[in-house]
Amino acid sequence: MSKIVGIDLGTTNSVVAVMEGGKPKVIPSSEGRNLIPSVVEPIKNLVGDIAKRQLILNPKNTIYSVKRLMGRRSDDPMVEKTRGMAGYEIVKGKQDMAAIKVEDKEFTPQEISARILSKIKADAEAYLGEKVEQAVITVPAYFDDAQRQATKQAGEIAGFKVERIINEPTAASLAYGLDKKANQTIAVYDLGGGTFDISILEIGDGVFEVKATNGDTFLGGDDFDQKIIEHVVAEFKKEHGVDLSKDKQAQQRIRDASEKAKIELSSSEETEINQPFITQGSDGNPLHLTMKLTRSKLEELTDDLVEKTMGPVKAAMKDAKVDAKDIDEVVLVGGQTRMPKIQRVVKDFFGKEPHKGVNPDEVVAIGAAIQGGVLMGDVKDVLLLDVTPLTLGVETLGGVMTPLIERNTTVPTAKSQIFSTASDNQPQVEIHVLQGERPMSGDNKTLGRFVLDGIPPAQRGIPQIEVTFDIDANGILKVTAKDKGTGKEQKITIQNATHLTDEEVDKMRQEAEKHAEEDKTKKELAEARNQAQTAVFEIEKQLKEHGDKLDKADKDKIEVNVKQLKELTEKTEASAEDLKKATAETLESAQKLGEILYKQQTEGDKPTEDKKEGSAPKASAKEDKGETDESAKAKEKAEEGEVVDGE
Amino acid sequence: MKADKTVKLEQKITELEDKWKRAIADYHNLEKRVTSQQADFIKFANAALISRLLNIVDDLKRAANHLNDQGLKLIISQLQDLLETEGVTEIDATGKTFDAHTMEAIETVAGSENEVIEVLATGYKLNDKILRPAKVKVGKGGK
Repeated sequence: MSKIVGIDLGTTNSVVAVMEGGKPKVIPSSEGRNLIPSVVEPIKNLVGDIAKRQLILNPKNTIYSVKRLMGRRSDDPMVEKTRGMAGYEIVKGKQDMAAIKVEDKEFTPQEISARILSKIKADAEAYLGEKVEQAVITVPAYFDDAQRQATKQAGEIAGFKVERIINEPTAASLAYGLDKKANQTIAVYDLGGGTFDISILEIGDGVFEVKATNGDTFLGGDDFDQKIIEHVVAEFKKEHGVDLSKDKQAQQRIRDASEKAKIELSSSEETEINQPFITQGSDGNPLHLTMKLTRSKLEELTDDLVEKTMGPVKAAMKDAKVDAKDIDEVVLVGGQTRMPKIQRVVKDFFGKEPHKGVNPDEVVAIGAAIQGGVLMGDVKDVLLLDVTPLTLGVETLGGVMTPLIERNTTVPTAKSQIFSTASDNQPQVEIHVLQGERPMSGDNKTLGRFVLDGIPPAQRGIPQIEVTFDIDANGILKVTAKDKGTGKEQKITIQNATHLTDEEVDKMRQEAEKHAEEDKTKKELAEARNQAQTAVFEIEKQLKEHGDKLDKADKDKIEVNVKQLKELTEKTEASAEDLKKATAETLESAQKLGEILYKQQTEGDKPTEDKKEGSAPKASAKEDKGETDESAKAKEKAEEGEVVDGE
Repeated sequence: MKADKTVKLEQKITELEDKWKRAIADYHNLEKRVTSQQADFIKFANAALISRLLNIVDDLKRAANHLNDQGLKLIISQLQDLLETEGVTEIDATGKTFDAHTMEAIETVAGSENEVIEVLATGYKLNDKILRPAKVKVGKGGK
């Protein structure tokens, strides 16, 4: 079954969204924008941004706001009003319905809308990489049956099977999950680019009922822009005596700058309109447009527009026979509701904080996609995959927590890492399974521990112990430790590793944050100590093997250094800095030894010890050289799984 | 009774298999899209910044027109070189037939029909994607 897309077929702009992995997502157009202007040039078949760009050149053939004509008779007052504003010709079509005449060809509003929907279909198919044949399309709550029918036809002409026509305010409510509430009254305030709608809905048992709608079909964000443009032109005239409204090029620049200023004033208190060389003065000198615009000035300029929306709001409430206090939820829709003043006015009127998303111009399409998801059966029994709320890991040398599965990993999942022994001839390793975000094992929660024994005697770092964490979909964690040498293994099963109460998770995370600094120091210290101990061990070993090849003086010096370092690692008050410094010094003094070894290696192909950073075993990510092909491969694997370095 | 259960189980298996396959397919598709989006992201990561810079290039050009200063012209050509190395190319519109894919008509003026009479603001492409269309005056013919 193909996906069902949700389409907000708007008067000014259209948006399409789809459910992906159980979440709604807006599909960008081929031009890379989320909004597609609802503009069509039917002869050359241009749609969207491209059609909009040639509007001025081709006004008779370029159709916009076709939604105002959908399913209306030619003598409908709305059609009359549109006729007065549109550059294209609106005629009486079949059965006295409104139609559009372009170059002697007659188009129904359905056909024009279908062009927009066809583009949406093509863009969605390109994005999803599969055929898209089903859609949920939204319409204003006040659309009558003929208008809904026309919208459905538009979808069918475009090649969609229209699964459902739903109301825009209902879609917006779905986007905020309000369908899950019972017996609520919802007010949806939708101020888009060119129209304003207020709807009062009632929801009972998941079914939305429209109680009342009202609005102003010729009021929107564009009017707000116009107010700024007028203000800028007037101010410029006052200052320079030049009327910019006569200059089309200047007008264009002011329009762009005004819209930009409006958007900026939604997030900042003040902005600057800055257009150098906008025109020339009477003396032939260039004139620049520079003007500061504050949020309060914008609010003053557009006060009447904001006020104009409140009339319909009150009328709708009256029709629905509800008071402001009866409204349980308020939803804001449309780009213009980003304006703080509008949010404030709405909030004050209803006495409650409205639902407002980051992208109020996308919520209707998102709600339609959710409805599509419900129809696909996607949403109802959505496969809920758990995530591990906290990191899972094992304790390694020095009490360090080495994570294997990071928090927020989606389960089921499995991960393994190879560890080794911390001392020579170590017969067993203890696997201490931990949960939590703190770097030191003692600060985390112990989920369990077990011992893998029977490890054949070997030098430290040689045995390969593979530790595997496997969480199934039910949150059951299986930890296995396997000695790759002998094939011997031990395991433990921990129930409900992912099931913690929210409080537990929060508490553990908060503690991790609180102790972050102190934990870092502790971990650094543990790591520095591990490195020092590794250095002591390696140098002692090499001294034993190759010490006789050194001068007596060199050997004594190295021995003294190693002894001091060893003593330092045993002191609890030693700081990470001290340890690091002493380790570095000791390693430097032991360079003589390294030279001898290096010589030997080039002669006899004997391995050297590699002292790179990383925590050492009780289970260190194995950092040994490859003597045989097989262990070389194993080394590669071991490093791949290395999660040691905290930075 | 037993048969009933078998049928039910078989149905369940078919259903689960379908869901599983779909989840895998979803994942594969997502993977493919992420790869191509990442490639696009790298290519177009600078688009927003460059778009904002272009407004300043416009203003510098306006200033150069007024001031006719050699030094300023040099600065502009440096800036244009830099944009070019970033993959930004100008849309050549002057004298061309109007094309809505790369141009936006701002005004119609006397002149041969559908021909770009004057470029008000240069359009730019970034790696062959329209960064912003050229804003142009177009001839309305009849003269």
